[in-house]
Amino acid sequence: MQRRNFLKNVGVALAASAVIPAVSFAGGTGKDANKMSYKTALSAITGGKTPKASAKVHLKAPEIAENGAVVPVTVNVDSPMTANDYVKAIHILNTKNGNARTIDVFLTPANGKAMFSTRIKLGGTQDVVALVELSNGDYLIASQSVKVTIGGCG
Amino acid sequence: MEARKSLIKIKPKRYKNGDVVKVSFMVMHPMETGSRKDKKTKKLIPAKYINSVKFNYNGKEITTMKVWESLSVNPVFTTYMKVDGKGKLKVTYTDNTGEVNEKSKKIKPKG
Repeated sequence: MQRRNFLKNVGVALAASAVIPAVSFAGGTGKDANKMSYKTALSAITGGKTPKASAKVHLKAPEIAENGAVVPVTVNVDSPMTANDYVKAIHILNTKNGNARTIDVFLTPANGKAMFSTRIKLGGTQDVVALVELSNGDYLIASQSVKVTIGGCG
Repeated sequence: MEARKSLIKIKPKRYKNGDVVKVSFMVMHPMETGSRKDKKTKKLIPAKYINSVKFNYNGKEITTMKVWESLSVNPVFTTYMKVDGKGKLKVTYTDNTGEVNEKSKKIKPKG
């Protein structure tokens, strides 16, 4: 009786230890693999192409953010948004959060206007960057420095 | 499937076919980055954030978004949309824990 119980318990213990948690509490390797530095994010998106600074990209973000948890960001790009000439994507990046990637917005001519607006978290003073992909394969870029007094990432 | 409070706003409220209108989608969501520590337990609060948003207008996917973890709590997503017929605008969003939700709004062009 004792031997049977012992073996049963060992069996249960072995089965339990064989289960690998999908999400680790300490933000283990699985999640860290998604976090990119600004340079890595830039080349991951452009495939190594150099983005051109352009006055066509209008990036609006506050110079001083009262609250780093809620920083409004708006990107407007001058574009006819026709089937032959449109903005394919607006990527918003940051330079000093744990992950430089904030959001990737994929547009189509059905949007009519190349614009995207949202509110983001900034952990501290840094640049917010708008990286724009055009239908002809070109990348445009604009950045805005944002001073953050109270960091917004917790 | 948890029902979340969300809203699709179209500006202006009256529009015709051919108009380009502003579309805002807002949803109540904690948007936890996974890097925040509970002040009492000192443990990391697990990440829970919307990671994808898709806008579908009368069966066509017009805008899609890949969202990373640093969007603000109760996020807002604003774009524009060309009005091209009566029908429905459907927003489908998922979060990193697998939660899937959708919100729709009727599109009713006048004239």
